[in-house]
This record gives sequence, structure tokens and C-alpha cells, in this order.
Amino acid sequence: MNTSALGALILAVFSVTSVWAEDIVVIVNPTAAPISREQIADVYLGRGDAWIPIDQAVGSEIYVEFYKKLTGRDSAQIKAIWSRILFTGRGVPPKQLRDSAAVKKAVAANPNAVGYIEKSAVDASVKVALPID
Amino acid sequence: MNFNPMPVIATSMLALGTLMAHADSTIDTIDQHVAFSGFGTLGVVHSDYNEADFIGRVDQLHGAGYSRSWSETPDSDLGVQANVTLTDTLSGVVQVLSRDKGDGNFKPDVEWANLNYQITPDLGVRLGRMLLPSYQHSESQNVGYTLPWVRVPIEISYTATAEHSDGLEVLYRLKTGSITQNLQAQWGTTTEDLPGTPFGATHAHIVLFSDTLQCGDTSVHLLYQKFDALVSSPVQFRLVSAGFTYDPGGWFLTGDSNYTQDRYFGDFLSWYVSGGVRLGRFTPYAVYSTTEAPNVGTSGLRKLGDERTVSAGVRWDFVRNFDIKLQLQHVTIGSLDDPASFGNLQPGARVGDKANVLSLALDFVF
Repeated sequence: MNTSALGALILAVFSVTSVWAEDIVVIVNPTAAPISREQIADVYLGRGDAWIPIDQAVGSEIYVEFYKKLTGRDSAQIKAIWSRILFTGRGVPPKQLRDSAAVKKAVAANPNAVGYIEKSAVDASVKVALPID
Repeated sequence: MNFNPMPVIATSMLALGTLMAHADSTIDTIDQHVAFSGFGTLGVVHSDYNEADFIGRVDQLHGAGYSRSWSETPDSDLGVQANVTLTDTLSGVVQVLSRDKGDGNFKPDVEWANLNYQITPDLGVRLGRMLLPSYQHSESQNVGYTLPWVRVPIEISYTATAEHSDGLEVLYRLKTGSITQNLQAQWGTTTEDLPGTPFGATHAHIVLFSDTLQCGDTSVHLLYQKFDALVSSPVQFRLVSAGFTYDPGGWFLTGDSNYTQDRYFGDFLSWYVSGGVRLGRFTPYAVYSTTEAPNVGTSGLRKLGDERTVSAGVRWDFVRNFDIKLQLQHVTIGSLDDPASFGNLQPGARVGDKANVLSLALDFVF
């Protein structure tokens, strides 16, 4: 194996970053109370809150980028955290929806729901609670 | 009388869930009422110490070393779970686990089977079978995928003999500023059976209070647990536990400690500290763990469980929902009275003997 191939292999093994370029925003129902960044992190890490988190598809670019920016954790760490909650009977992982349109629809329908979508997908049916950067 | 209500509760809940699902007869509705999931570990362990068997859990009798050079029994397990949603406030969970519980066979056992009634979002009551929150990872110790190591350091579980209780739990969540406290109280009975100890399958009352404080990436776990045998027995454990974890994502530092008081066996102190760094998909870690017996009880047994362990390993999250772990351990035996990591001690064993142990594990969740 030559050095560049080895380099590429090392990069492939260690790399968990993606090239997601779109801005992500956290959305809530237009009638919802304000929610802080710390609260959002607690909700998505299963640390308990009255909010109902809505997830994008596991492993999708927006999923990976959202958790990385909000919590500093990768998909495997998030899975481990929710597995602990699930298998100790404390709760179930957030419901996963197939795309941003579905997340938006769920948030628009429930005053306690919180979701995240591309900034470009925001419309009047939901309210932006926080940009994720 | 030795009536075990768990299989009945478990079966009823599964039946009820299935019935509700079939009443609507669509896949969507089944998804809404019953969710199935599971976890497991395929592990092998090698020990170079031939005067005893290295074990993964305190209730195991055999492992790697004397009986066999390599053994799959210390860490391998398989669990399946059904979460049943009955109403907005009433839910149930049933978990069945297969692992080596001492006799070498993997007979499935009901680990969790309870109904949860959520009175308010912050106040819930659970009735049924629950694992005890005796130390930080006691409730999730069977789920290798949730642990940074191959297994929870055995020293910490050596001083917490009961695993689950059948009874009642009240859980109250209290938010003050940025600190969330999860206050937990449990009353129940346990029928835990520890082979090789004088009290055998002692039925006991368990009462416990615990507080898990969470503030951002820091959590602290505190517990007091009282264990009183129901039949005439000198065993009356009092357990105090304190542990912490700081995990901001890129690295972690964690530690846990148990102090057990018992007139018969004497007192035990066990603790560990561990840290690790996340480098992409790899998480190398190190652990120091120990247990000792500072006081002698009426049994006259000295230094029960005594040992020190230095461990180093790495977790590799190589593909979604799976990890592989490699762990090396160096154990120094401090006593010939049931050192925590070993079973099947042979006449040639001596205090001060050292064992080198290699563990490989594949963890998965589904």
C-alpha cells in the first residue's frame, strides 16, 4: 500500500465530518414559549423536559450536522445515550420523520413539539426558536 | 411460598399490546402501541492465570483461566424488549435477558416488567420488576453498547449484591435553575441468588432512595439502599453509593464508589475512576478499579473480594448500531476469600498473584 492510499484509509476511518452547507434552525409551534439552546440540548439528549423532540432520519446529513453542532456528539454517541434510556425503561428515542416537510407538519400540529429543519424550509406554519451554528 | 408474578405480568402486557394492535389491524397502529427492540454482546475472554476463572459478573462460577483458556460466557448476552403504550399516561416495558447467571446456561430471565403511570410530566410511579439503581451503570450494565468499557468494573458490583426488585417506585423530577434532580424511591422484594455465599437465594426487602443530578454535561449519582433478609439471616446490607460523570462529547471522566455495611460479612469499599478520549470512531480508555474490606464481620471472613485492577482498552464504532471493544486488564489478587473478578479458585492461588486478561466484545443494538 502506498502512502497516499494509507492516508486516504486513515482519513476514511477517522472522519465523521460531512460537507453539509445549509443552515439548520430549531423550530417550534407558533404558539410555543421560548426555548433555550441548553433546553434543546437536554431535550435531544434525553435529559428530560416537557418538550417532545422530533428527529430527522438517523444518519441523514441534517441529523449528523445537527447533533454535532448542538451537542458535540456523533450518531454512535447519540444512539448509546438513547439506548441507555430505552433499555432502562425511562423513555423512548425521539420519533424519526422522513424529511423536513414531515418535521414541519408535526411541529405545526403540536404546541409541545420541537424539531429542526433547513433554514430555507421555514414557513409561517412554524416559528424559528434558534439557529444552530 | 415462592410465587413469581413476573411471567404473568409480562405475558399479560404483551397480550394486551398485541390485542390493541390487532383491533386496528394496521402496521402503523402496531407501531404506535408496541415497539420491539433489543441488544446483545458477543464476547470472548482470555486469562493467563491458571489458578482461577476470570468472570464477568459476580454471580458467575466459571469463566476464562483455569477451566478454559478462552471463554465466551463472561460477557455474552442477548436481550429483547417490548415497550407498550396503553394511554398517554400509562405505559409498560418488558425485557427478557439471556446471559450466564452462574450455572453456565443462558436461560432467559425477566429483567424488567413494569407498568409506568405518569401522573404529571415530572412525577411517575412504576409497579413491577425493575433493576436497582445501586450504582451509576447498574440499570444498563447488560447493554454493552451503552458502556464505554467491555463491562462495568466488577469491583463496584461486588458490593451491591441484589440486581432487581419487584415492587413500587416513585420518580420525581425537580428542576432548579440549570440543575435537574431525578429523585427516586423504591420499595420491593428481591429474590437474587448468589452462588457460593452463605445466604443463597435469600428473599429480602429492599428500600432505596437515590438522586441523579444533571447539570449540562455533568451528572452525579447518590444512593442509599437497605437490604433486609425476610427469613432469619444475619445479612443486613446498607449501601451508600456516590458517582459522577463528566462527558462533554469529545472525552469523558467518570468515577463511582460503593460503601457497604454488613454485620455478618463486614464492610466493603469499592471504587473506580475512568477516562477516555473520542478520536473519530475510536474511543480509547483506561480504568483503575478496586475493592477492599476495611472491617471484619461476625463471619470472620477477612478481606472478602479484595483486588486491584488496571485496565486499558478501545471502543470502535465501526458501523451503525455496532461496536467492537478490545480491553486488557491486569488484576492483582488481594485475598483468597472470593476475589471479585474470579470464581473457581484453585488450591495453588496465592495472595499477590497477578492475572493478565484480554477481552474482545462485539456489542449491538436493534
